[in-house]
Order: sequence, then C-alpha cells, then structure tokens
Amino acid sequence: MVNSFQNIAVTSFPEFVESEFKPIEKKYLNVIIIHVFIFFFISIFGVFIVDYTKIIDISAILLDVYFSILIIFALIFLMQFLGFKKRKYVVREKDISYKSGLVFKKTTTVPFNRIQHLEIDQGPISRFFDLAVLSVFTAGNSSDDLKINGLKKEEAEKIKEFISNQIDG
Amino acid sequence: MVNSTQFSEYTTQSKKGILVIYIHQIYGFLKAFWILLFLFIQKFSKFSEVSLTYIYLGVTFVLLFFLVRAFLIFKNFQFKIVNNHFILKKGILKKNALEIPFDRIQNINFKQNIIQQIINVYEVNIETAGSTEAEISIKAMTLEQANALKNAITIFDTSYQKSEVILEEKPLLRIGFVELLKVSLTENHFKSLLLLFALLVGFYQQINQLFESSGNNELVDDFISKNTSAFQASIIVFIIIISILLVIVGLLSSFIRVFLSHFNLTVFIKNDTLEIDQGLTTKKSIVLKKNKVQHITISTNPIKEKLGISFITFTQAESGISKEKKQGIIKIVGCKSVQISAIKNLLFPNENLADFDANQVDSYYKIRLYVRVFLALLFVNTGFYFGVNNPTVFLLNILLLPILVFLTELKFKKRTFLFSDTLLQINYGTIETHQTFLPLYKIQHVSIKQTIFQERKNVADVVFQTASGKLKIPCLKVSEALKMVNFALYKIETSQQSWM
Repeated sequence: MVNSFQNIAVTSFPEFVESEFKPIEKKYLNVIIIHVFIFFFISIFGVFIVDYTKIIDISAILLDVYFSILIIFALIFLMQFLGFKKRKYVVREKDISYKSGLVFKKTTTVPFNRIQHLEIDQGPISRFFDLAVLSVFTAGNSSDDLKINGLKKEEAEKIKEFISNQIDG
Repeated sequence: MVNSTQFSEYTTQSKKGILVIYIHQIYGFLKAFWILLFLFIQKFSKFSEVSLTYIYLGVTFVLLFFLVRAFLIFKNFQFKIVNNHFILKKGILKKNALEIPFDRIQNINFKQNIIQQIINVYEVNIETAGSTEAEISIKAMTLEQANALKNAITIFDTSYQKSEVILEEKPLLRIGFVELLKVSLTENHFKSLLLLFALLVGFYQQINQLFESSGNNELVDDFISKNTSAFQASIIVFIIIISILLVIVGLLSSFIRVFLSHFNLTVFIKNDTLEIDQGLTTKKSIVLKKNKVQHITISTNPIKEKLGISFITFTQAESGISKEKKQGIIKIVGCKSVQISAIKNLLFPNENLADFDANQVDSYYKIRLYVRVFLALLFVNTGFYFGVNNPTVFLLNILLLPILVFLTELKFKKRTFLFSDTLLQINYGTIETHQTFLPLYKIQHVSIKQTIFQERKNVADVVFQTASGKLKIPCLKVSEALKMVNFALYKIETSQQSWM
C-alpha cells in the first residue's frame, strides 16, 4: 500500500508562491465605496418614501430603522474595506488564479487549456476610473468561474491577449 | 445497412410523426388546462343544450387546429447531412435553421414513449455539449432510419479509429424482473417518500387553487379539520397507522419509480461506448461515449451490499444553460462487482487505485459536522419551544441525539479520498456509501476554500470543478491541500487528452 501523497513524483511543477500574487488596482476601492454609498442612499431613500407616503406606518420605530441601516452599512463598509486587501491575482505560464475573501477565503485557479472564452466588461463607475472586469469562462455548468474585478483596462486587455496566445499557441 | 448518403437531401421524419406531434400537443394542452376539463365533467349536467353545442364546437376546432399545426410542424421540420454537419430547418412562421458540426454532438439517444411504442417509431435526440442552442429532438423515425442517421453521424468518430473492434453482442448486464425487484426493495424509501410528497404538494396546491377560485375554499378546509378532530381521539393509533401507511407507500413508490425508469435494463459495451436501454412506458436507449463521461459514482447501501449489488451514476458535461439540472446524469442499477470492474476498466484502463491507502480528512471535519448537528438540534428545539405546548416533546432529544451522533461518526469515517497518477477517488456517504472516480485531467478549475475558523486549525477545503458539477474534499491540512492542487493543476496543464 502506498500513500497517495508520497507518490506525487517530484517533477518540479511550479508551486504557488504567496509573493507572486498581485493586488488589484487601488482605485477599485473607490468604485466599491461608491457602490456601497449608492446602495446606502437608496435604502435611506426607500425608508423615507415608505414613511412619507405612509404605506406602512413605521413612524414609531423610524429612528431605529435609520440607525440599523447605518450600522449595517458601516459593517458592510468595514468588511469591504478590510476584504479589499485580500483581493489578489496572479497570471502564470499556464494558469490564472484569483483569491479573495476575509471570513471565507477562496483561491481559484483556472488552467488556460480549460478556458472556453474570456470577457472584459466595464461598468459605468469603473469606466470613470478606467477599470475593467476580466471574466474567464469554462465549459459546462460554469456557475463558479473566475472573475477579476478592478483591473486597469489595458492590463485586462494584456492578460486577455496573453491567455488567447497561450491557448492558440 | 442503409446507405448514409440518403441524408444528403432535405428529409422529413416518418409520416407517423404527424400523429406523434399531434398527440404531444394535445397532451401539452390537457396538462395546462386539465382543471377546465375537471370542471366540465363535474358540472356536465348543469350545462344547457346550447352551451354544450358551443363547447363541442370549440373542442372540435381546437382538435382540428392542432391537427393542422401538427401537419405544418411535420412539413417544415427537415434535416440533412452535409460535410460533417447536421443541418436542420424548422418552424412554421418563425423559420429556424440550425447547423451543428459532428464533433460538437455529444450523444444520439433513442427514446420511445407509449404512443411511439404503439406505432413503432423512435424519437431521436441529439445532444450537444456546452452550447446554448436547444437540443434537437426528432419525434418519429423508423428504426431503420434512426440507425442510419446515427451511423451517418458517428462515422465521423469511427473514421480515425480504423481498427474496428468486433461488436460484443452479448450484453454486459441484463436486469430481469426478480433482480429489479431486489433493487427496488433496497432503494432509499425515504427518498421515494419525499419525491412522492413533493409531487402531492404540487397537486394539492393546484386543487386548492381551483376550489379557491370557485369559492369552495371551506370544502377542503372543512374536510381536513373534520378528519383531524377524529384523529386526535387516539394519537398513538394514528401514529402507528400513519407509520405503516408511510412504509407501504414508500415501498410502493420506490417500486414504481424503479420499474418505470429501469425496466428491462440492458447494457452493452461497444467499441468505446456504453449502450444503455431501459424504461417501461418510455423506453430510452442511451449511447454513452467513453470520453464524454466526466466522473462516475458507484453507490451502495448496507442491504444492497449484502446482496452484492450497487448502482453506478455517470455524469456528462452539462450544456451551458440547462433548465433541467440533472439532464447529464445517467444511472445503471443492479450492478454486480463483475460489471463494475468491466465498466471501470473501460473508462479508466490501467487504474491501480487499489494499491493506494485511503487518506482520512482532518479531524476538523468532525468538529464542523458536530457544529451543524448542534445548530440543527437548536433549530428543532426552538421549533418545539414555540410550536408545541407539551413539554414531553423535548424527550425526543434523547432519541434523536444518539442517532445523530452515530450518523455523524459514520459520515466522518466514510469521508476518505485517494488518488493515483491519473485518477482521483472520493468516498463519502452516511448510510449509503458512494465512491466517486474522477480522472484528474477532466478537472476544469480548482479552488481552495478556507474560513477563518479553518485558518486557525490550518485546514482548508479543496473544490474541483468539472464540466458536470463540483466535487469537494473538505478539511485537508493546508500543506496537503496545496500539494493536491498543485498536482491536479500539473496534471491538467500537461494533459493533451480532450476532456469533453
């Protein structure tokens, strides 16, 4: 009987090195902050409308509602802020990886030769900061594929170009 | 053998197809409007002569309309084969043309529902993988035509493997009545009950809606309350009767479920494919190409193990946007160990997993399971606290706790994995035992997941995403998880084999 782990041949396949991971653009934090604030104001506005039109009578607990919204968004903000530093990616010779998460950490690696197609998107706010999203799709049930937010547009294009060349080459 | 050039011109399906399409449409119509029919029969005597005439006229019109429509659908559904492409045009008003290259075709399956069995035609389904376009379903072909089409399409595949292996005409597996009976008796009856229950709930809701809309709401409620008050008279008798009934219903529903889908199960191994025929009312013939299978799971439970039978589930790549999640899953029941090793041999030649030790997952997994059990118990007890007035109900915990502990220990013990140079085996299950085999090169991407609690204990989960879903090894030591991921990535990145 052999232990599977002992059997891994030492054919020197590249291992992940923590320092190889690059952080995403700092500017993306602005995008996150703006998103959080937009949702914050929408929620406040929503409560205001409900109170003003008296669809549901919440005048008695109005202050509590505003206060809890404030607390929730402060927490979301804090989580996003702390989590931002954890968003890192690395493009290696044959695969691309992305890691993120503060409480639930996750590192996903997609080998180039399993990629079906690549996509670059820009939201309205991201466009203002010249940032883009790189999405990597694999075949089949691809609910959980790789997506890197907050790359510089040209960086995203460069990675896409690189991967396309690697796949074809 | 029919010449494959017969598909070079546009062909329609067999003329019997009109009947199949016609009945299919009427069936669909009835399924959507069965409540109307129900009302009609119920109030039949109350209709006046005139309105009856109108109703008959309406029905005749609908039937005629469907007949014309069926004919037009039939007339406009034409296909041909040109240059290793399957070309289809269909649609009455909205014309639709499809062109599918042969190498994108995953499977060609034959199917026969009751109507198709009676008039002796086959439904041919052409499945494609990883594409957004709908699967093609040709409703009616004669066996000869269907086989010719299949041959014409699969010629692409066999052209590069010139060394044609002699067809093994003797089936690998044929499940007779007695064996199927054994299989159905040892099924997971609890699951059958749940499935039946889900079906009944859906049915009940429909009935309830009907009564609600016609203002007869009290009728159902009245019926229920009357009966519950009678039941309360003696709770113990009630519980006993209900348990016996549940057992009988559970047995019956597993029996029906197994017989409907697996009747006359026959499995052939031909070249590099598995051919599976099964079904009672709807006969299905599935051809499974060896390299399209993503991973297989061999499952058994204690009783089945005593009888020496288990079932195998095969998963294939799911198409991009699939409505039915389980469409890629094919099941063979009642396999003996001989057949299992034959199938394993076909799919993974030269595997030598038996030489390896099974690796236990980290004991942190046990902590996670117990936390879940604790949360579930907390939830149940909160329910008791608010829902039931009788405090004796908390005594159920004494019964529940040992069962849950036993199941948790079992679940932890069965969570093992091992891998060789090419193949990964993951074992799991509680009462049932499942063994999943995944060739490493079929993995699409790999993730490592870690919560902050896991981080403190220095363990992590490894998730393998394949073209047909995820496989997970929970709670490995971080060093082992990294090794595992690196190894898998190395295997994928150096593999030249096609994985779909």
